[in-house]
Amino acid sequence: MVATPVFRRSRSSKLVDRLMRGILWGIAILFVVVLILFVGAILKQGWPVLNLGFLAKMPETLDAGGGIKPQIFNSIYLVVLSLGLSLPVGLGAGVYMAEYAGKGRALNFLRLCIETLAATPSIVLALFGMIVFVQAMGWSFSIRSGALTLALLNIPVITRVTEVSLLAVPRELKEASYGLGATRLQTILKVALPYAATGILTGLVLTAGRAFGESAILVFTAGTNASTRFPDFRLTVPGETLSVHLWYVTSDGTLPDAREIAAGTAAVMILVLLSLNLLVRLVDRAIRRRTR
Amino acid sequence: MRQFDVELKELREGIMAMAGVAEDMIELTIQAMAEPSPAKAEQVNHLDRKMDEWELRLDQQCIDLLALRSPAASDLRRIASSLKIIPELERIGDHCCNIARRVPMVHPPVLAGNDLEQLGAETRSMVRRAVDAFVGNDAALAQAVILSDDGVDALYGKIYRDLLRIMLADPLCIERASHLILVIKNWERIADEATNIAEEVLFILEGHNAKHPYLRGDSVE
Amino acid sequence: MLIPTVPETKPIKLSVRNMAFSYGEKKVLDGLSMDIHAERVTAIIGPSGCGKSTFLKCFNRIHEVSSAVNVSGDMLMDGVDIYRGGIDEVDLRRRVGMVFQKPNPFPKSIYENVAFGPRLFGVSDRATLDGLVEDTLRKAALWDEVKDRLKESATGMSGGQQQRLCIARALAVNPEVLLMDEPCSALDPIATAKIEDLITELKENLTIVIVTHNMQQAARVSDYTAFFWLGKLVEMDLTERIFTTPRVQMTEDYITGRFG
Repeated sequence: MVATPVFRRSRSSKLVDRLMRGILWGIAILFVVVLILFVGAILKQGWPVLNLGFLAKMPETLDAGGGIKPQIFNSIYLVVLSLGLSLPVGLGAGVYMAEYAGKGRALNFLRLCIETLAATPSIVLALFGMIVFVQAMGWSFSIRSGALTLALLNIPVITRVTEVSLLAVPRELKEASYGLGATRLQTILKVALPYAATGILTGLVLTAGRAFGESAILVFTAGTNASTRFPDFRLTVPGETLSVHLWYVTSDGTLPDAREIAAGTAAVMILVLLSLNLLVRLVDRAIRRRTR
Repeated sequence: MRQFDVELKELREGIMAMAGVAEDMIELTIQAMAEPSPAKAEQVNHLDRKMDEWELRLDQQCIDLLALRSPAASDLRRIASSLKIIPELERIGDHCCNIARRVPMVHPPVLAGNDLEQLGAETRSMVRRAVDAFVGNDAALAQAVILSDDGVDALYGKIYRDLLRIMLADPLCIERASHLILVIKNWERIADEATNIAEEVLFILEGHNAKHPYLRGDSVE
Repeated sequence: MLIPTVPETKPIKLSVRNMAFSYGEKKVLDGLSMDIHAERVTAIIGPSGCGKSTFLKCFNRIHEVSSAVNVSGDMLMDGVDIYRGGIDEVDLRRRVGMVFQKPNPFPKSIYENVAFGPRLFGVSDRATLDGLVEDTLRKAALWDEVKDRLKESATGMSGGQQQRLCIARALAVNPEVLLMDEPCSALDPIATAKIEDLITELKENLTIVIVTHNMQQAARVSDYTAFFWLGKLVEMDLTERIFTTPRVQMTEDYITGRFG
């Protein structure tokens, strides 16, 4: 008979365990430190410019002291427009892929297309937007060119998020719905989508954040000029956004307070994005409290 | 083998052992009727005590099996029937005791001929065959035992009438004859008990209740 | 087909003749024929994987939602072929309700769970729904326990309550048949006993078919028991007959636990 081995933990494995724990903690702390440094640097640079006036003023072309009022408007406007276009398409495609499509070559091909679109560098999408909307359709640099091209950026993400969230709906819930005599559409609308809502919403907000920060696409489609009228809802005018403005002001360099304006713009963008992320969490918690 | 099968086997062997004691008691009473002896009477009482012990033990085994094993189908029938066979065997033992007690009071014998012997022999045969049917799962044998009961009843009736005649003819015989009547009554009851055991065996093997055929209007398969 | 000794007074609700079922290439059920009587409880027992749940789900065609299946032979309800008789499968599922193995209430309020079915069919008047919800919850023996918390989430209830809620949810659309797929296998004995009592009450107005791997449950609750093995019906009879004198040796062996 073989003797039972003695089970004793070796000193070295305990040490390795403790070491790893320390390393991982360190990494986490590193992240926080980096974020603080990063935000801190930007705020420090942009501090002199950040005041309500900055947000409410129109930009200057040559002198110091310009504001970013129209850019704020354009950034938000473009996000809303592009989401308005991409949401129905993305949701629809996601619902189709999760609930209606049969598993097979067609579905795999569709998935390949979407993933390719998702992986396309935004500069390539920008070029596409410029060639098709700005030049071929003759819309030139405008809000509508920018919104449409941004929509192309958003659709694959929304589709994927919708599909994944719907696939995560437990089969038993859908079975229960069908068992009661619901049609496929009723099941999707009344059971699957409500369950997937948090996931989809989170994806939506992240998409909005990405669209908000996008620069390459908008440089080539919405242009580097902002309307002098405020607020200008026309789709045909150019719409410089915060991100484009930041780039333009820095690379052009003619404004005396270019550095400060750029930093201030960056600070505003960061603040908006942080609040957006906070909003996601709050909405998520509220939905969860209501249904679970 | 499953634990339950082991327990069923134990139950079966216990009933076989208890039946063995019953058969021994019948044998003793037959011998005692031929040649009375206080030793034999004493042994019958001793065996009766063993019967009672068996009854308690086997009763409990059956109840435990019902409680713990939730038997179904043939297992259920076997255990339910065992619960009915066990008291039948115990009663056979009691009847043997009654006979043994009366042996001194029927001697010297008032009845001539072998009717008495035959009654004893047939009763013993019925009990043995009923037990064999139980042990050997033999439905045909059980059926035969049930049919034999009529013969025993007839024999009992004949001896009874003979005894009545003897009592009327000779008043000095009355006491012994009346005890003898009680003895043959006990034999007849033992035969009934053997019949009941055979009916239970049929229930175990075939799943239908063979009792009271007169109640069944149309014929049963 | 076996004939019971006491004449059955209830008509036949569901009838199966020579039915076979395959998932793609794989044949799961074969040569099935049985009759299910109205307002009786019919239990289906058998070892795991013998096709009992698959068979059950054929009665409300719920397979078709997720896979391509092939059903041959006849399955009739009230004399009309479920598959080929022109019955709309969505309407079929209202008439033939289902309760699943693991309780699966929607992550909504108790009220909304019960009201879900009626809403699907266009009932929206508040008063009607209120009445329907109370009525159904009473039928499911749940009203007293939840009447003060109808707006609370269904997922906060105990397993046994959730299952009774699922039964109520199915009852809310007034089905004629209730299919139960091992409804108590995830529940403790007390919850199980409550549901078994419920089944006995419900059968007065409902035909119930219950799949169970618990033979004692089949014995307690059903009028008829059918024994399945490897996709075939081995024996079907009155429950008391199956459990005292089964006719087929395989049934006897399964019931006494000597295999399976």
